[in-house]
Amino acid sequence: MLALRRLPRFTPRIASVRGNATLEAASQSQSTAAPPPSPSVTAKSSASHKSTSGNADAKGSSSGGKQNSGGRQPAQQATRGWCRPIAKGVEPAYDYALRYILKDAGFIRKELEQLRAAVAAEEKKPEDQRSEATLEEMRQRVGILEIQSEANLPNVRWNARNGLADMNQPIYRHLVEQRWREEGDLDLLMERIYQMSVVPDMLPELRPSFDLRIKYAEPPPKDNYLRTRVKRKLKQVEPGIFLVPEQTRRQPEISMTLFHTDTRLYTLLMVDLDIPDPETQSFTSYLHWLQPNIPLSAFTTSPTVPLDTHTRYVPPHPQRGTPYHRYVLLMLPQTSPTEPIDIPVFSEADRLGFNFRAFAEQYGFNGVRGGGAHMWREVWDETVSHIYQHTLKKEEPRFGKLPRADPYAEIKRSKKYL
Amino acid sequence: MSSPLLALGKQKLSLRVAQTSVRYAGRQESGGGDPRNDIIRRALYPSNIRNRPSPVGTWRPDVGRRLQRAIPSAQAHETIERAWLLHQRHVRRSRSAELQRKFESVRGAMETLREVAPELYVEANKDEDPRARSAAEMELLKKLKGPEKKAVEARIRGLFPRELRIPTDTPPKNGWVYDFTPVTRIS
Repeated sequence: MLALRRLPRFTPRIASVRGNATLEAASQSQSTAAPPPSPSVTAKSSASHKSTSGNADAKGSSSGGKQNSGGRQPAQQATRGWCRPIAKGVEPAYDYALRYILKDAGFIRKELEQLRAAVAAEEKKPEDQRSEATLEEMRQRVGILEIQSEANLPNVRWNARNGLADMNQPIYRHLVEQRWREEGDLDLLMERIYQMSVVPDMLPELRPSFDLRIKYAEPPPKDNYLRTRVKRKLKQVEPGIFLVPEQTRRQPEISMTLFHTDTRLYTLLMVDLDIPDPETQSFTSYLHWLQPNIPLSAFTTSPTVPLDTHTRYVPPHPQRGTPYHRYVLLMLPQTSPTEPIDIPVFSEADRLGFNFRAFAEQYGFNGVRGGGAHMWREVWDETVSHIYQHTLKKEEPRFGKLPRADPYAEIKRSKKYL
Repeated sequence: MSSPLLALGKQKLSLRVAQTSVRYAGRQESGGGDPRNDIIRRALYPSNIRNRPSPVGTWRPDVGRRLQRAIPSAQAHETIERAWLLHQRHVRRSRSAELQRKFESVRGAMETLREVAPELYVEANKDEDPRARSAAEMELLKKLKGPEKKAVEARIRGLFPRELRIPTDTPPKNGWVYDFTPVTRIS
């Protein structure tokens, strides 16, 4: 099951009356036992003018309540499924389009079956008689046809958008990946990564290959009275936003959508890029969290192994007087997808001054080969003092600029007017 | 000097001054006057109905309702769009496949010609200038006059006929020619 997707920033009012099966509409349609959204609509649409039936249909689907045409909500009922967005006869173009798509899907499926039979026959041939090049070409064509035969079907597209995607099937993997790459999520992440200069500062190139989502506790309520009385829910973190140190005290909840069916090993690491270094009058990195050898595939939406067995999670603690700190969470694929690597646990002293480039070269990590990434920013808060006192058990440093020599000190001491 | 202005600034003027509605006009009796004045008046002082779109279109409250009527379902719109693009793809592919087939057929024919009759193959491969006129045609041109001459000169194979008229918005002054007979090219 796919995890929750963040809601769109702009939800037009009209979206509330458009669209398809909502939870309420689904239950209504089950109670009336009719596939179209409401029986009154079918009765009207057969006779009347398109405009009135369009309005009636809008009313019919809006009676269901919340919209779901964009499909931004996850599956909460197993009985939920696709049904026609508008009744038969309301929009003749839609009915024709549906028939056309189904017919085309049928043709492609037949071609796919023939090609699969040809591939099987070619594979059955002994080594010397078969041609690897044609076999590879046929396999690629099979992959393309598998997607083409189902990419236009409205029920498949609806399922992919509404959390009912079965990652066993290549079409759903394709649609979910296409959505992540092309409808803004990856673009937003990369925009924030490049704007915050994570890419040249931490690693030379980063090409995420899967969707990595993080949930931290929601910020404390504004009302002081409610601070200890309201349970903080976990909230999805948008890449690049400011979080408060109180939210990041505990490990985040990580959810992912990968697109390869085989299980590969990944390494999780979280780095703070802006720890001040007084010796060099510049900034250095700090390793907050490291967990290698996490097996992931398209069927694992969250890590199955515990994440606190290697280098434990240290909560972010941006120091007082420093500008905002950038925190980057990476899930990088290991060189060998099946062989675990042995990284020594980082001690407290080793965490400070963590050089990612040297680490990557030593263990063979490369941002070009894919992976997942996320980032956010934090600024000092009184909670950081608390973290230093109780979690890190160190003295809290305070940073600031050194006072400059006053160039007018001499002049101020002497008399101005003789 | 500045005190009257300061006094003016200090007094608090009410927002509504004697109910003079300058911007919006009520119903005007036009009667027998110039209709252009009415048009100008309607353009300058539009009616003050609250929920209708503004004259130039800067505020349109009915967009949502109209969109809903035009596109009742976003999912249905996407399905129709995909089906249409799929249809266009099929048409495009069948056209290019047909063209490819024709091209291959002509190429095969030329290959056969090359094997069978190389001299004819060379002849067939020669570039031809469609505007070139043979000696016989030049002689013919000297004899022809008027529309027949124009027909021979203007219509070149592979190029637009020079007599092609660009379609106009308005009909010709002399009206439609019902008994038009085209001059066909003789040669």
